[in-house]
Amino acid sequence: MNKTAQNTSFRDLLKLKSIETQKSFKENFPEAHQFLLEKGVELGKIRQHSAKLISAGALTGTLLLSPPTGASSLPTPSDIVHNLSETEGRDANVVPQKEFINSLRNLLPKEVRPLARDEEKRLEIVVKNILDVNAKATLEGEHLNTIYGYIGAEQHLKKYPGDILENHGPYYKEGIAPGLGAWGYFSKSKAETNSFIIETEKWYSVVQTLYLPDWNSRQPYLRDWYKYRKLLIINTVNGNAVITAIADSGPAAWTGKHFGGSPEVMDYLGGSRYKKGPVLVFFVDDPENKIKLGPVDYNDLSGKDLVQI
Amino acid sequence: MSIIFYDKLVVLTSVDKKIKKLVSSSEERQEMWQMVEEIIHHKVLGCCLDNLPHEHHSEFLDMFHKAPHDQNLLRYLDEKSKKDMKKIIKQEIKDLTKDLLLLNSNKV
Repeated sequence: MNKTAQNTSFRDLLKLKSIETQKSFKENFPEAHQFLLEKGVELGKIRQHSAKLISAGALTGTLLLSPPTGASSLPTPSDIVHNLSETEGRDANVVPQKEFINSLRNLLPKEVRPLARDEEKRLEIVVKNILDVNAKATLEGEHLNTIYGYIGAEQHLKKYPGDILENHGPYYKEGIAPGLGAWGYFSKSKAETNSFIIETEKWYSVVQTLYLPDWNSRQPYLRDWYKYRKLLIINTVNGNAVITAIADSGPAAWTGKHFGGSPEVMDYLGGSRYKKGPVLVFFVDDPENKIKLGPVDYNDLSGKDLVQI
Repeated sequence: MSIIFYDKLVVLTSVDKKIKKLVSSSEERQEMWQMVEEIIHHKVLGCCLDNLPHEHHSEFLDMFHKAPHDQNLLRYLDEKSKKDMKKIIKQEIKDLTKDLLLLNSNKV
């Protein structure tokens, strides 16, 4: 059977399985089905419903029904700023990356989870002070379902029709995706491929736009807004940070990952064996488009002390 | 806290690999992801209700629809069912993964 036939067959069988599962739930638990129906909750779209509730809760400060351990001991923004200015004057030999890792350790919960707005604000201050990047969890009213999650390795994307893996060196191991990103090819042909396109594919990232509660109702605005939007991605374990551009939607929520990174992004964040890890993701507030994609070098020692895991 | 209280128990990496291998357009891929998503939620909620005594269904559903992310839901299930629901949900997902991987195989 060829790939197209296999695909059609799998898609049809998956659809059938989905219908059967929903039917079986309805038959076995009619009261539950009725309850959710009355509340206007579609079980298949419970993720979007939950994201909406979390977002509303985060804004009104009622997010954490069960507060994370240590939340009450989080430092206030003024504490953070005070500590940072003390650090600046204390020891010129301290590697900023080390300070950054320590700050993240103090501010982040032990388990990866969506953060409350005040937690995000504190992190924005730290990022601005140490990395000198205007990083925003919410930009122009837009916010991802979570900014603290797991990133996974993605393959290269085809920049134009006929693009092949050999054009994506030296990172060949991950391969090239058989399909296209959510915004299709980056350019119509090889001849039209410029340095902007090459850099965008090289430093591309993936976010779960498909699970945004308002993704479907606010089209085409959101699709355009997210296309190649600059993101700052920070490996929260070693402090490595990179500016990326969104070029695809995903990964599926049931992969245990929340974001994706190109082979170059992943290599910079954690080294050649880095396939999955916790990261912070912020929009970059760069209205004049001055910030370049790629590694954020914020060490006095020209990056030679970057920690690889 | 996850977006859904059972998110951390639900990982079907091999199904994702299969979809990525078969599908070339982003739209198709997302359509299949959504189908799997629908199956998961119905299966897991069904599994929770199956193991929860009927008299607690109403209270559980009320809590679930108000805060699907709340980790207390798992504790509630453990307590009322007197079972290790993490283990049960994980097994449900393991079985589902097998089913989905065999969908277009002649072995079925």
